[in-house]
Amino acid sequence: MIYLKVEIKVGLKEGITDPEGLNIKKSLKLLGFDSVESVEVKRSYVIEISGKDEKKIREDVDMMCKKLLINPVIHDYEVEMIK
Amino acid sequence: MLFGSGWGDLMDRSEIKICVLRIEGTNNEDEMYYAFKRLGASPELVHLKDLKDVFDYNCLMIPGGFSAGDYVRAGAIFASRIRAKIANDLHKFIDDGWPVGGICNGFQVLVELGVLPGFKRMDYPDACLFLNNSARFECRPTLLKHENKGKCVFTRNIPNGEIMLVPSAHGEGKLLLPRQKEKEYFDRLFENDQVVFRYVDKDGEYSGYPWNPNGSAHNIAGICNEAGNVFGMMPHPERAYFDKNKNGFSGMNLFESVLKYIEEK
Amino acid sequence: MSSRQNVFEIDLDVSDEKLLELSRKIGIGLSLEEMKSVRNYFKQEGRNPNDIEIQALGQAWSEHCCYKSSKSLLKKFIFNIEVPQNIFVIKEDAGVVEFDEDYAYVLALESHNHPSAVEPYGGAATGIGGILRDVVCMGAQPVALIDPIFFGPLDLPYEELPKGLKHPEFLFRGVVAGIRDYGNRVGIPTVSGSVYFHPGYTGNCIVNVGCVGIIKREDIVHSRVKELGDIFVMVGGKTGRDGIHGVNFASAELDEDSETSSRSAVQVGDPITKEPLIHACLEVNSKKLLNGMKDLGGGGLSCVVGEMAHAGGFGAKVNLENVLLKEKGMKPWEIWVSESQERMMLAVSKENLNEVLAVFDKWDVDAAVIGETIPEKRVLVYYEGEKIFDMDSEFLTGGPMYARDVKIVKKDQKDIQTQKPEDITSILIQILSDPNIASKDWVILQYDHTVRGSTSLTPLNGDVVNFSPQDSAIVKPVEELNKGLVISTAVNPFLMEYDPYWGAASAIDEIYRNIVAVGGKPHSLADCLNFGNPEKPERFGDFYQAVMGLNYATKDLLVSFSSGNVSLYNESMIGSCPPTPTIVGIGIIEDINKKITSNLKKEGNSLYIIGKTEREFGGSLYYRILGVDGGIAPKMDPQNLLNYSKTLLNSMENGITVSCHDISEGGIAVAVAEMTFGSDYGVELELPNIKTMRPDEFIFSESNSRWVVEVSNDKEFESLLNKNKVPFMKIGKIKGSKFLLKQNGIKIIDITVDKLRDKWKNAIWERMG
Repeated sequence: MIYLKVEIKVGLKEGITDPEGLNIKKSLKLLGFDSVESVEVKRSYVIEISGKDEKKIREDVDMMCKKLLINPVIHDYEVEMIK
Repeated sequence: MLFGSGWGDLMDRSEIKICVLRIEGTNNEDEMYYAFKRLGASPELVHLKDLKDVFDYNCLMIPGGFSAGDYVRAGAIFASRIRAKIANDLHKFIDDGWPVGGICNGFQVLVELGVLPGFKRMDYPDACLFLNNSARFECRPTLLKHENKGKCVFTRNIPNGEIMLVPSAHGEGKLLLPRQKEKEYFDRLFENDQVVFRYVDKDGEYSGYPWNPNGSAHNIAGICNEAGNVFGMMPHPERAYFDKNKNGFSGMNLFESVLKYIEEK
Repeated sequence: MSSRQNVFEIDLDVSDEKLLELSRKIGIGLSLEEMKSVRNYFKQEGRNPNDIEIQALGQAWSEHCCYKSSKSLLKKFIFNIEVPQNIFVIKEDAGVVEFDEDYAYVLALESHNHPSAVEPYGGAATGIGGILRDVVCMGAQPVALIDPIFFGPLDLPYEELPKGLKHPEFLFRGVVAGIRDYGNRVGIPTVSGSVYFHPGYTGNCIVNVGCVGIIKREDIVHSRVKELGDIFVMVGGKTGRDGIHGVNFASAELDEDSETSSRSAVQVGDPITKEPLIHACLEVNSKKLLNGMKDLGGGGLSCVVGEMAHAGGFGAKVNLENVLLKEKGMKPWEIWVSESQERMMLAVSKENLNEVLAVFDKWDVDAAVIGETIPEKRVLVYYEGEKIFDMDSEFLTGGPMYARDVKIVKKDQKDIQTQKPEDITSILIQILSDPNIASKDWVILQYDHTVRGSTSLTPLNGDVVNFSPQDSAIVKPVEELNKGLVISTAVNPFLMEYDPYWGAASAIDEIYRNIVAVGGKPHSLADCLNFGNPEKPERFGDFYQAVMGLNYATKDLLVSFSSGNVSLYNESMIGSCPPTPTIVGIGIIEDINKKITSNLKKEGNSLYIIGKTEREFGGSLYYRILGVDGGIAPKMDPQNLLNYSKTLLNSMENGITVSCHDISEGGIAVAVAEMTFGSDYGVELELPNIKTMRPDEFIFSESNSRWVVEVSNDKEFESLLNKNKVPFMKIGKIKGSKFLLKQNGIKIIDITVDKLRDKWKNAIWERMG
């Protein structure tokens, strides 16, 4: 059994307009940050999990994404294992 | 109409059982309950935890709200819990032609379940109700044009082309389809008569914001599946129950339609 | 009693100086006099107190919990007004008023100012949570939320912002988001409210929140235990360190350090726990399983146990380790005074206990038995088998009461003559784009005001995407009845600042007008009195004057205050907030289908003014725009208001008056402009010569007891008003698509409605985006 901390970052697929990011960008510009080029909003889940090995945990994490954490129509995700 | 003969006759209204399904955070269930109750049917508020058999009911409705806080994504948690509990039964229920409807958060749940647009059976979403272009929750009246030609069992009693004033109240209502199949999917929706409601302006034209409150492509506000028995829409007909338009149509007709369908089924 | 690891004995046998320092150091904010009476009490008990006991007194005796500064005035002038529709008022967490023979409605109003100033999102959100609990704990289903909010100017330059304060725009954005995210998630429509910007709120934003509920009269439950052996069951959220000392915080001025030092006084709300909690509480109540119910608000467990037991004529014994906790290592006193959100206390008899617990289990809501009633009127707290708290409940919940010094500062009010401005059209534009007049749709559309499907009149109503603001909202609370609750809110901080007495009376006048304007009969009131530091005589003088103004205006109107709240110490290093007695009014409309809206209905119909327009410009928006300080504050006469209202309602019932809008800030001009905004029409106004006033003064005067009405039958209207001796004036008709104002054939205002609407609609959007 190993114990891991896993970070899953969910972001929008390329080409999907991100109204939240655009609005935040607009607000930042209103505050005088004229040099802001783009704002991308990502959601991060930090999950503490135990499993047989890293491979099994990675499989579980992929299932979690598929079953709940992402909508494949719009989302991409990255997984990072933090020991 | 024949009584008690047991064949080919209409089902009695009060025997029609509607399952209004809820979990924590579902909060439009009372108005959904009354929408059916007022028409003489027998709705029940059922917590997903307490749902024994979906086949105990003639119709499954998922009301609006913020199920499980809409954390993760609007409707995602409710959908994954439904899938975990009754996935196979739900597909059979749908295949048998029983009506399944979702309003607002309920529409988001049906999309997350993958049963809308429902081009094929799948266990993950094939569409998305995404953050409004304004990036905020908006509660405002919207004008909807009924565009279905008779497939959708929830709107058969509403003539094609009828325009109704129905309140919207959501933060995530923009219908998105997979980018690589976008055109194909939209074509199919229109060709299959799966488009039910579209946002219009006072002249009946497909106008932009604020007439279209969320930026939905083709101004789509509500769709059904290929068979017409699974239906979802973002605006709230149950909140426009008594507000008749000039031809006498209101949100009530939607609930009347599905009850008629069940009676005749 | 011994002091254990977690409980410390506190030595009060020290010098006065030390005593006061002690109060400050442990953060309870009691004065020297109060600390001395605590010392005396424990001397009589023959021992020193434990930390938990001192902390409990700090909570119970805070201004927020025991109203020590305001109680005597309120008793005498506000809560002594009695009307037959009241079922029971003031004594509990919310007022209960008759709706019909079977139903009652419940009304509560509170402030959440201090937490919102430090953490606007969480502060505003938990405000909603708290007010919902106040209504639910009477056994009622909440049906509407009300949110009056007040901030400093949005365009305040950042460099002028004093250290330790947050910018008004940040606060405004955060508060609105907090209300939106909590209110929308919990599924109760936010139907009414107001937004004000005034420099006096820069240091102290005001966030008030009200709630209306509906209940079958036989289901009303009290905030007290019923009999010996009643079991205390604590339900809902777990108890944590969040919100410790919230009430002491709410009873002190904000200073530079408030931002960092007070973070723990702000609680974290969880609407998705609240929603099933409401369902479960209402279910056990409707099954008649409860003897009493009270919410855990300010002061936490400490206040709720003492108050519930004391009100029922008993004492209480509590086992503190049974309280469900969010985090480990909490000290007993922290558990006892924590103000964590989403918690309720039930009093249940033994035979009902299992059934109650089963209901909460079904809803996945935590429930824990934490104590029971005892015959002695004392509160006893045990922790791990040891008694750590033992106090007389009368002493604990009684609290001190003060007669604060009053210094009345009155402005010398004289009528003054002003220069006639060149361009009245541009003044009208300036007024309509003033943030206090401009459309609040940026706020309102973020709130779900139609959830529950029972909102019959929304705060904005009109032509799908173009709206006229409505004077009140209407909610239909009972499925089988067409009867509606009319809900509105009023107060004008600029007028309050100018003249607290007439400002307060005007707020009553306005709430009355607002309810009548949609076809409702005013029925009951709630007040939230937001003022500065009561220990300063001139501040308390403002408070005194406002209370007297409320008393004058209300006592003959056949309505009374069913619920109220006082928030003092709204004061920072840059001064006090303007005196702000927020008024919420409830009216009854017998048939919601007969409601009247403000947007214009039909080309060709006439426009009239009901009531008398006087040279009353004190505290007016017009004088602010002109840069003039002075003038006479608007007065009001309750008898006239009653008569005008009755006649106006009569004309509505007969179908003569088809639209109506109250005349308040910005006068007739703003009222008429707003009526055009939600319609496809313009107006052509022709003013007669008015002896005492120029036309610009006439259209911008803020006299009370007036409405603009659209009339479908001039003759019938005039004869009805003449018969009832109600003053009126015909000012023009609905025509074209312009706002056109003439006198003697000369155009004074000439602009398209579209242009005016754009200015009005965009002012706040341009800033908030």
